[in-house]
Amino acid sequence: MTTTVANREVALVDLVDRLLGGGVVIAGDITLSVADVDLVYVSLRALISSVATAEEEGVLPRMGSAL
Amino acid sequence: MIRLYAFARHPGPALPDVPGLVEVPFDGLAALCGPAAEDDREATPEALWRHEEVVEALMRDRDVLPARFGTRVADEADAVRAGTAQAEGLHAALAHVSGAVELSLRVRAREPAECPEALERRLAPLARDAVTSPPGDEGEVLRAAYLVERVRVGEFQAQVARLQADHGDLALLLTGPWPPYSFTGARA
Repeated sequence: MTTTVANREVALVDLVDRLLGGGVVIAGDITLSVADVDLVYVSLRALISSVATAEEEGVLPRMGSAL
Repeated sequence: MIRLYAFARHPGPALPDVPGLVEVPFDGLAALCGPAAEDDREATPEALWRHEEVVEALMRDRDVLPARFGTRVADEADAVRAGTAQAEGLHAALAHVSGAVELSLRVRAREPAECPEALERRLAPLARDAVTSPPGDEGEVLRAAYLVERVRVGEFQAQVARLQADHGDLALLLTGPWPPYSFTGARA
């Protein structure tokens, strides 16, 4: 239906939500710099706008299924 | 420093062919670790996808509890200490996600609206668990994560497709399967 690259762009918001906002947290060992996270969200905002304005949106199964 | 990818039960199947990936056992569990790298500290899309690919490779043939990106420990002994400190919770979370994967659903509308109850009503029975998050922006009416048995993912996907067909005024965006980042029982 769509290329791998397009699927990955669409799934990036979900990837960031999960890897940076979810998952098991162990005591005091995340050394991620906050500035780097802000940069990712800035570029995501532009992506979200472009996805939202697309006329055709539907179910997009992600490529490279782990099943 | 080494990087923590996920926790899983131990013993488990052979590890996928990822350079430097090691299994550090403790208490019927294992910390799945790899070499730390400079890109641990930068959440670029490339670094996130590279990390995610390892976790998904692990997920192909075992249940995993994925760690938050950027998690580092000093060494394997430190990984054991960190895991042991929450072993009971890890065992419980692994039981909860056993045989299941995470699916992400985002629903957008041109005009801000209450999410039609029908969506959630028609999806909840197909999932073992669900969490909703605050919408990301004004155009988003639902952001949810579903814990779905591996064998029911196709059924769930088909139901989302039917919902999309029934709601031309909405855009439903389904991605996955993901490792169960939203169902680890962790508190930030």
